[in-house]
Amino acid sequence: MIQAQHISKSFHNIKVVNDVSLKVDKGKIFGLLGPNGAGKTTLIRMLSGIIKTDTGDALVNQLSTEKAKPYFGYVAQHFGQYEELSVRENVEFYAQMYNVEDKQWLDTLIHRYGLTPYQEHFAGTLSGGYQRRLALVCALAHNPKVLFLDEPTAGIDPVTRKLLWDDFYKLSAEGKTLFITTHYMEEAQRCHELAFLSAGKLVATGTPSNIKDALGEVYVYTTTLEYIPQLHTALQNLEATLLVNQFGEELRVILKNATSKTLVEETINAMTSQPCTLHETNANLEDVFIALTQEEESSL
Amino acid sequence: MIMAIIKKELLQLRRDPRLIALILIMPLVLLVLFGIALKLEPKNVNMAYNDNDKSFFSNLIKTNLWSDGYFNLYEVNSKKAIIEEIRSGRAKAGLYINSNFSSELIENAQPTITFYTDGTMPSLTTAMKYHSGSATDKEVTNDMYFLDEDAQNVVIADDPFLMQTIVLFNPDEKETWFFLPGVIGVLIMQIALILTGISIVREREKKTLEQLLVTPISKSSFIIGKLLPYVLIAVADFYLILGVGWSLFELPQPSSHLLLFLLAVVYVAVMISLGLLISLVSKTQQQAMFIAIFIIVPSILLSGFIFPLEAIPDVVRPISYLIPFTYFVEIIRGLLIKHTLFTDLSNAYLALLLFSVFFIGASIIKFKKSL
Repeated sequence: MIQAQHISKSFHNIKVVNDVSLKVDKGKIFGLLGPNGAGKTTLIRMLSGIIKTDTGDALVNQLSTEKAKPYFGYVAQHFGQYEELSVRENVEFYAQMYNVEDKQWLDTLIHRYGLTPYQEHFAGTLSGGYQRRLALVCALAHNPKVLFLDEPTAGIDPVTRKLLWDDFYKLSAEGKTLFITTHYMEEAQRCHELAFLSAGKLVATGTPSNIKDALGEVYVYTTTLEYIPQLHTALQNLEATLLVNQFGEELRVILKNATSKTLVEETINAMTSQPCTLHETNANLEDVFIALTQEEESSL
Repeated sequence: MIMAIIKKELLQLRRDPRLIALILIMPLVLLVLFGIALKLEPKNVNMAYNDNDKSFFSNLIKTNLWSDGYFNLYEVNSKKAIIEEIRSGRAKAGLYINSNFSSELIENAQPTITFYTDGTMPSLTTAMKYHSGSATDKEVTNDMYFLDEDAQNVVIADDPFLMQTIVLFNPDEKETWFFLPGVIGVLIMQIALILTGISIVREREKKTLEQLLVTPISKSSFIIGKLLPYVLIAVADFYLILGVGWSLFELPQPSSHLLLFLLAVVYVAVMISLGLLISLVSKTQQQAMFIAIFIIVPSILLSGFIFPLEAIPDVVRPISYLIPFTYFVEIIRGLLIKHTLFTDLSNAYLALLLFSVFFIGASIIKFKKSL
């Protein structure tokens, strides 16, 4: 449904998106992951035809983005509806951009996103969560086949986020294809497919469970330990260490080989003067995210 | 804490080099321009004359008018031609001397010469009347007294001849007749430049443009849709102010309603397309506003709207002719007050048309690049 073929884009001679190819099938929720500045927004803008690619082709519904416009909707990262217009006026305006005049359909849509009580309110007076919903309704007004969402849940409370995600699944079940950028791991976990963008390049693709393979053969250990800054530095400096990460009282260490496990234990023991037990576990998405980002940064 | 705010404001300003340039350059340009331009002392006012006497005496009058440096005399062949020259705008004043001027003068019959002025611009009319005094001052009349010293003593009146002044087109010298038509142009300029000027930058700043660009609407439909409301508002405003002028200020009816409508359309097209161009070159609404004001202020002062073009020195005059408003002022005064013929206004219409073609063309080029 969505296809990128070797697309690249430079701004001021800096390659923001570098030879990216990807393919998203119909009805899938595709998550584009990556740190800030990785080129996610540039990529989604090229796919939705807001900016032109320098090289390569972007196709939606097998059509060039320019021709595919009636078939996709796009929600920008920033609120882009008209603040001076009411909710209803905004929705009707966007519907008319696609020659959609069916008021009943729009009513249903407004109702579906809980905006019915706010219909007459000016868009500028809505809370952040409701502005997101309005943006979504405007993007869905022409019942598109594909939906591009640039960080749709950034800055949104967990309840609204859950509601939105429940809805994304419904949309996907209805056969719509969703392309979502995010840097929330919890959100990435929910996608059918993921691609990891770092410094403009796709460094990993796959389902949430198999994208971890992108790290190659790694060994993940965890233990319960208070945060000690010196310990972190010491562990980070070990040759085998890929990543050291602290979650509250949980310390996670990712190693390139299993043999260094004892070395880690020794280091910890030396600093804390108390015996520690390392449990082996699996890499989670956050580990992958940070590790991949770090690799890319250190290779720059 | 106030210092911190002040510092922050200055830093923000510094990060907007275009705005800084505008803030610094605008006063400088305006200062130099007005320092040179606004002398308020017209020179070389064109005067058409028809001298049927062609005598030493009539030459004396013309020479003295000429040497004063205020009027720039040229000859036409009839009394009617004088009025037509003034109607067309080629001359602002006229002088008529009839064929028996010198014979009546010699007979001490106190002949009359006629001085015509264009009443469209009352301030200029007043100045012209004042300067026309050099036609009758002592330098002229003294030579008339002592022409023939040996002749018998004839009683000569205090004034050997009289000058009759006829104010054309706006005989009562009403200031409203002079100002109102121009005010229409100023208001349309403001609406067009400021409203249109910020219209697209605003969509860009508020991020609504991006959301709009993903819809299938074509760029040209987008622009036309954005501009048409302002075109209608501007044309409506044009007639609204005219209506007020007609009903409250006894503003004269135009020589041709069709030509008046044509003016409204062409002028609005020029201003809206200029506003669009401003909106396309500006990065922020602030910049757009500043550019708009930068255009409006000199337009008002250098167009002949308040100060006569004759008062603007030759060095600055070309700028006056680069201002679309200059042509608007000429046409609307011509249509409403002087009933100037279309043939005499066609160049001004053409100028406005060229401006609109130029601004629309430039907007299209800029628009293709920037959106």
